[in-house]
Amino acid sequence: MNFAHMRRSSFQFWHYLLSFVIIVFITAIFFVLGDVLDKTLIALIYLIPLGFITAFWGFGPGIASSVLAFIAFNYFFIEPYHTFAVHNPSDVVILIVFLVVAVVVSQLVARAQAGEAMATAREREATQLYELSIALAGLHRDYAIAEILAKHVQGTLHTEAVELNILGTQPFVFHVAEKKQPTRPPELTVPIQAARGILGEIRLWRAAPVISSGEKRLLQTFASQGALALERASLAQAESRARVLEESDKLKSAILSSVSHELRTPLSTIKAAASSLRGKEVGWDSPARAELIEAIDDEADHLNMLVGNLLDMSRIESGALKPKREWNILSEIVGSVLARMKHLAEGHQIEVEVPESLPLVPVDYVQMEQVFTNLLSNSLKYAPANTKICIRAFVEEETIQVQVSNQGPRVPHEDLERIFDKFYRTTAADRVTGTGLGLSICKGIVEAHGGRIWAKNLPDGLAFNFTLPLIWDGATPSQIPTDTETE
Amino acid sequence: MSNPPHILVIDDEPQILRAMRTILTEKQFRVTTASRGEEGLALAAANEPDLVILDLGLPDMDGVEVCSRLREWTQCPIIVLSVRDSERDKVAALDKGADDYLTKPFSIEELLARVRVALRHSARVQGTPNKVVKAGQLTIDLAWHIVKLGEEEIKLTGTEHKLLAYLAANHGRVLTHQSILTNVWGPADADHTEYLRVYMRQLRKKLEADPERPQYILTEPGIGYRFIADE
Repeated sequence: MNFAHMRRSSFQFWHYLLSFVIIVFITAIFFVLGDVLDKTLIALIYLIPLGFITAFWGFGPGIASSVLAFIAFNYFFIEPYHTFAVHNPSDVVILIVFLVVAVVVSQLVARAQAGEAMATAREREATQLYELSIALAGLHRDYAIAEILAKHVQGTLHTEAVELNILGTQPFVFHVAEKKQPTRPPELTVPIQAARGILGEIRLWRAAPVISSGEKRLLQTFASQGALALERASLAQAESRARVLEESDKLKSAILSSVSHELRTPLSTIKAAASSLRGKEVGWDSPARAELIEAIDDEADHLNMLVGNLLDMSRIESGALKPKREWNILSEIVGSVLARMKHLAEGHQIEVEVPESLPLVPVDYVQMEQVFTNLLSNSLKYAPANTKICIRAFVEEETIQVQVSNQGPRVPHEDLERIFDKFYRTTAADRVTGTGLGLSICKGIVEAHGGRIWAKNLPDGLAFNFTLPLIWDGATPSQIPTDTETE
Repeated sequence: MSNPPHILVIDDEPQILRAMRTILTEKQFRVTTASRGEEGLALAAANEPDLVILDLGLPDMDGVEVCSRLREWTQCPIIVLSVRDSERDKVAALDKGADDYLTKPFSIEELLARVRVALRHSARVQGTPNKVVKAGQLTIDLAWHIVKLGEEEIKLTGTEHKLLAYLAANHGRVLTHQSILTNVWGPADADHTEYLRVYMRQLRKKLEADPERPQYILTEPGIGYRFIADE
């Protein structure tokens, strides 16, 4: 037996006792005033406390007090006094009428009470269901649905523990327990049943008070609400999957059309150079030989870069691009990109303002190199020769802001966002080579790092800006241990 | 070495095997090839090669596992080959005992340079270690803890010196962040890449003519660092 149960039965005991005390008290008053009051009036007045007792404490104390009042009335106020015998036939009638009226009053009052209690319970049930359906509305993740459902079951039925066992593509179990998860089997198990089958089940532990049929019904209603929510979530997921598939299908056909041309150019060069080296047209000592070999080497690198871009893009599209973050020095990354692109950048003036004193940034070194490489090669491609290209970085609040600006053509305002779209170009495709993926790869990488990227027209050119967070998992780099000069 | 060094190449792509066999044989190496991990392990046990070139993407088993199984019984140098963007695999293989890595596609000069460094390093491990490492203007005396740039002695802090000594003793080889941190700071600090970044910057400032374009201590993006010494 648990405490709630004990508390309830001791309540009952007190109700009975109080009822009896009231009857005894009233009987004592009547006894004192016995000579003044008529016995029929006494019988009538007894009915008042009886009605109240039933109204406050229920049918049991009501009936018990009625019987007690009947006995007391008979004993003290019906002749012969102080016996249970009745001599006068009219007294018999009074007694019987008293008992019948007392019992009927008790019953009527109790029934009204019960009706009201049931209405209250129904109303509470309806409210709880309403609250549950409001809480479940708009949830699209199974886990969130299970959490809300379990908490509502727990809150409504005051259980010791609730466990939700959700099946589906990624099955999981969700627990809520008041103290410790009980080791015994659950008291009640209700399946979460939807049109397409069983989606899981609710297990419930509550030893006492025993789960009533009303509560069972309520739980089943909860379960079906949960089933509806789960089904809605899975439909929403299916829809978004379908949309992703459609998107990636579009991407694939775009790749095929745009890239086959792009891939064929270096391949043609390689094929032409290799076949002429193989044939007898080019002599062993001819300077053309070295040139052809260099062309093969360069074009193979170009081809490798194109394939790399495609792979990056497909990785970004499928959400598989996960930065391997480490604390890095931004100026080192910029420096290594510039060193690698030295030959390509010879025709432009590159200005770098990336102070070494900037705080460490939590980024993937390789991916960040890729961002700088793409932004730089974009600037080199579009900006006229001998113009300036600037790389700047500074701290702004909890982020680092980087700007790569050039003196190339400005982009119409409405296209500033679209230049980060796949295969989007502001100029005709045949004027500039490339896959049209560079900037959208930058966007994918920057966003995977939790930053954002945008383009802006400058008075004399175009600037790419992006931000990178300086906080990683809520922290800045740990204190670097210092050491002293050795002698 | 009187006998030409014996190289075992494990790769599942027949074109790569063909090219490697042609080029390495041309360069006077003895070459054995295997197209699967198990076959490679069996051949390694039977032939005891002087060097293993191992592709990480094998059809039958994980290249990293081939690496650790080889390391159970042999210290012969292992150079792993992998495609771009698989830094995690490369680092795993290096931490499991591989000596170096190359990203496909690679040039033959690069491959031959790595092979030479690896063979020289394994000869050094078996013989007496180098006491003095020279790289351009830089002279590092590992026994006497003296670092000179030209004629001028460079003052280094204790940690900087430990760091430089570890890099120089393994010159030519790639060293992962984790292995450097473990060897210089200790196993407890193996994840603190930020220490490495900060000390490497200090070290480069003291040694390199242009710290943003280093010529002695090179960054291997996403992997670690490599010290380049004179041949």
